[in-house]
Amino acid sequence: MNNLPRAEYRTVVVGGGIVGLFSAYHLARAGAGPILVLDRGFLSSGASGRNGGGVRQQWETRATVRLAREAVRDYRRFGREFGYNPWFRQTGYLFLAESADELARLRRVHDLVRSEGLASEVLAADALSRYVPGIAPGSAVGGTYLRSDGVLYPFPAIWGVYEAARALGVDLAFGVEVLGIDSEAGRVTGVRSSAGPVATTSVVNAAGGWSSDVARRAGLDVPNVATRHEILATEPLKPFLDPMVVRASDGLYFSQTVHGGLVGGLTLPHPAGTAAGLPSSAKFLTAMARALVGLLPRLRSLRVLRAWSGFYDDTPDGLPVIGEDPRLGGFVHANGFGGHGFMLAPAATRRVARAVLGERTDLEPELFAPDRFLAPRLPSTAERLLLG
Amino acid sequence: MAGAPTRRFRYRGRVVEAREGETLLAAIARDALPTLERSTRYHRPRAPFCGIGQCTGCLVRVNDEPLVRACRYHPGEDDRVENGPGWPSVRWDALVVLDLIFRRGLDPFRGFRRPAVAGPIYQRLVRRLAGYGAPAPVSGRATEAVPPVVRSAEVVVVGGGESCRATAARLVTLGYRPLVLDRDRRPGLVGADWLGGVSVTLLGPRVDEGAELPFRLLGHAETGAGLSVRARSVVVATGGYDASLLFGGNDRPGVLTADAALAFSSAPERAPFGQALLVGGDRRAEEVLARLGSRVAAVIAVGEVRPEVVRAASDLGIPLYPRSLLLGVIGRTRVRGLRLRTRGGGPRFSLAGDAVVLAHRRIPNAPLLFLAGAEMAWHAGPGAYYPVLDAAGTTSVPGLYAVGTVTGTLEPARREGAERAAFAIAGRAASDSEALPRVRAEGPSELEGYYRELLTEPRRGRWIACRCEDVLLHDLETANRGGYRGLEVVKRYTSLGTGLCQGRYCTPDALLILSVLEGRPPSEVGRIRQRPPVYPMPLGTLAELDDSVAGEVG
Ligand SMILES: Cc1cc2nc3c(=O)[nH]c(=O)nc-3n(C[C@H](O)[C@H](O)[C@H](O)COP(=O)(O)OP(=O)(O)OC[C@H]3O[C@@H](n4cnc5c(N)ncnc54)[C@H](O)[C@@H]3O)c2cc1C
Repeated sequence: MNNLPRAEYRTVVVGGGIVGLFSAYHLARAGAGPILVLDRGFLSSGASGRNGGGVRQQWETRATVRLAREAVRDYRRFGREFGYNPWFRQTGYLFLAESADELARLRRVHDLVRSEGLASEVLAADALSRYVPGIAPGSAVGGTYLRSDGVLYPFPAIWGVYEAARALGVDLAFGVEVLGIDSEAGRVTGVRSSAGPVATTSVVNAAGGWSSDVARRAGLDVPNVATRHEILATEPLKPFLDPMVVRASDGLYFSQTVHGGLVGGLTLPHPAGTAAGLPSSAKFLTAMARALVGLLPRLRSLRVLRAWSGFYDDTPDGLPVIGEDPRLGGFVHANGFGGHGFMLAPAATRRVARAVLGERTDLEPELFAPDRFLAPRLPSTAERLLLG
Repeated sequence: MAGAPTRRFRYRGRVVEAREGETLLAAIARDALPTLERSTRYHRPRAPFCGIGQCTGCLVRVNDEPLVRACRYHPGEDDRVENGPGWPSVRWDALVVLDLIFRRGLDPFRGFRRPAVAGPIYQRLVRRLAGYGAPAPVSGRATEAVPPVVRSAEVVVVGGGESCRATAARLVTLGYRPLVLDRDRRPGLVGADWLGGVSVTLLGPRVDEGAELPFRLLGHAETGAGLSVRARSVVVATGGYDASLLFGGNDRPGVLTADAALAFSSAPERAPFGQALLVGGDRRAEEVLARLGSRVAAVIAVGEVRPEVVRAASDLGIPLYPRSLLLGVIGRTRVRGLRLRTRGGGPRFSLAGDAVVLAHRRIPNAPLLFLAGAEMAWHAGPGAYYPVLDAAGTTSVPGLYAVGTVTGTLEPARREGAERAAFAIAGRAASDSEALPRVRAEGPSELEGYYRELLTEPRRGRWIACRCEDVLLHDLETANRGGYRGLEVVKRYTSLGTGLCQGRYCTPDALLILSVLEGRPPSEVGRIRQRPPVYPMPLGTLAELDDSVAGEVG
């Protein structure tokens, strides 16, 4: 039959990244087993093990602010609940504005964030050096700052959810690829995997950058596209920088870890899709170095220790896709998180679990439901504060 | 050398003289290996270990700039040199209590969770202690922008050793003008462009649009000058390096690799040890005996000993201890001896000495091959991954060649291998040449058996699996018990291999140990994916380099 613990599961989760793990965890907590998580790589091999660990609540869409705020609460108590300390450090996100227009846009975000009860601040140009010591004068006209945003170490969060899911009886198989999803009369009936077939009535597509491949393996067309993003880490310095610093113009973002290294990236126009794999480019190394040294000249002699890259799973409107696909009963999306899936995962996957169980969620369908892309017109609301 | 020019600099306020060409480390290690910094997690004293600019053992501050490797740095007149991190000082570090309190190890991810209100306090505390010093103020040397060297070349040879030289020389006779990139500063070669003192990273090959010069190399000199080279063919002749070994207190000042020890061989009487315990029974040990024999007190081998080594030791009157398990270092602040046991349940014994020199395992220095995506195969003999090669020395990546130690080709065939690569580049490879003899690929790895036996011994002291990040053998075992398998996952679980040496000194042993713990061959435990840059590159250098060609690595 197959090389998996059982021949039949109530739910099969495709993808063992933070989204798949948290989805399985919430489902198991709801007593909806047996659950199987399949991942063709090793634990943490996807974007979940390659990201910058940023957690922010400053967004252009109210629904995202709310999800993020809930996730911040989740990560604050993560250490007690999951037995692993992700060192979630709430020392703020600082968005830099390089022009009056950008500042005006950040102000609108600030107003929205404030109206949700979060203590965001607008910073004048001369206040920036208090948050970013050594910032080159004239490099920004101002910015916004929210102290309760922060950064965490992704790995312990992964281990914590992985072990919690396992302890709740979830079966997890790594190195196993999902090859196809079978259906009958518009409903999921099973999954074909490299370890053999599994019967199931529900599948969660938490395949991150590969979510459109997995959807296609179920015969579904989705607008998600994978985009490669590069990132680097430097040698450790004495901590001098508290917040995550973000600049919209080039998508520059960086923070200093508890360990002392700077971790950050910026956005380059790489061709979409996963076909070219995950190389690092000279273009990135040099562009990132120029951006960092331009903003913080004192970093000239700091050395880059390593660079790597990972896939964002982008959607046309910058919002994730959460919910059952109207074309295929039992096929539930948990993808399209772009560059923000790690921070949103604990909160977003509560809704994934409810969707699997056929329960209603509090998410506005016009923002998150998969059907929004089936209409001839694109959705009217979109999240555009995507970089960093 | 009377009359040789000297430079005077200050080390911790004291004036020190360096001879021309001498490294900072050689200048300050005249009597004993200095303790230059404290380790990350347990604040253990740390001293130079690798001697070739790869490990985390000699990071000092020069003119306020942190993270300068003393073994690669050539002091300038009036430099101010201070020790690396230590609180309040490297000599008297109060935080060594962490080493004493957390005898079973300190797990940063499972500890520090309670009480919840203490979270931010832990954060602040750890941040206060983290890192290797503040960034240098913007002034002086740090801001001098050195213009980059931008080149293109038909053939680039990376290396500088004998095989590099042989390939380059043959290329010259075949009408090429190879560009040689040497990390050290060795004499050049007529007919070749020879750039010494540059550390390079390979990006490419570009697979798209069949680029004319598909390989891109980025590099930097110690001065901070950048280097950007595009090439049609690249020959990797990066040689090998001496691996680490796991035993109790293996991070003690005085434990060092043969690479580091041999750096002192030009003037053995000034070597910072006089009674070294030499570990190894093969060619490398022979070399150490030949060049530093007068400073060696005993030869210890983890397995059998080559007859040449037996002879050399007996000529020098040095006792020999074959088939020994290294259990631990004696000495609280520096090496005073070793505790050992004869393998196969033999007796325990100890030896006195003031250094442990590791010459038991020379492994390929292959990051460039990994970065270029060359197919690599596990070779059990030395226990390492070597490139898969055809008889002409071509790797699985078109245009990429490997010669010399990095290929595992055995002497005396290396020269032949080096020349074949040159002929292949010229399109004149002999079609009928036979494969050259290489290190053993099949069968069991000697060290695997060694570690299987060692892991059953009772342990004393810290067994440091990863020197840069203070990861313990115990941490590997915890990961294994938690179901975390494979080197990639264990790396992320324990932080092993994430430090400044990028896994060079921990993964070779971790691979064998995990193979024992997981009960599967090392090749299945896998390896860590190589990330660029091969050697840490200054942001300022990168910022000056042009990026008109997007070289990429897989
Ligand atoms: C460089 C970079 C920086 C980022 N920075 C941040 C940040 O600061 N903050 C933040 O919140 N987010 C950030 N992100 C985004 C975040 O990492 C992702 O949104 C998040 O990790 C997505 O989690 P996931 O579980 O959906 O996907 P992944 O972690 O990618 O997991 C998907 C898994 O699916 C598996 N899979 C795919 N296809 C198949 C198949 N057919 N069969 C079986 N398994 C399959 C893959 O092996 C993979 O393990 C960043 C991402 C990148 C690349």
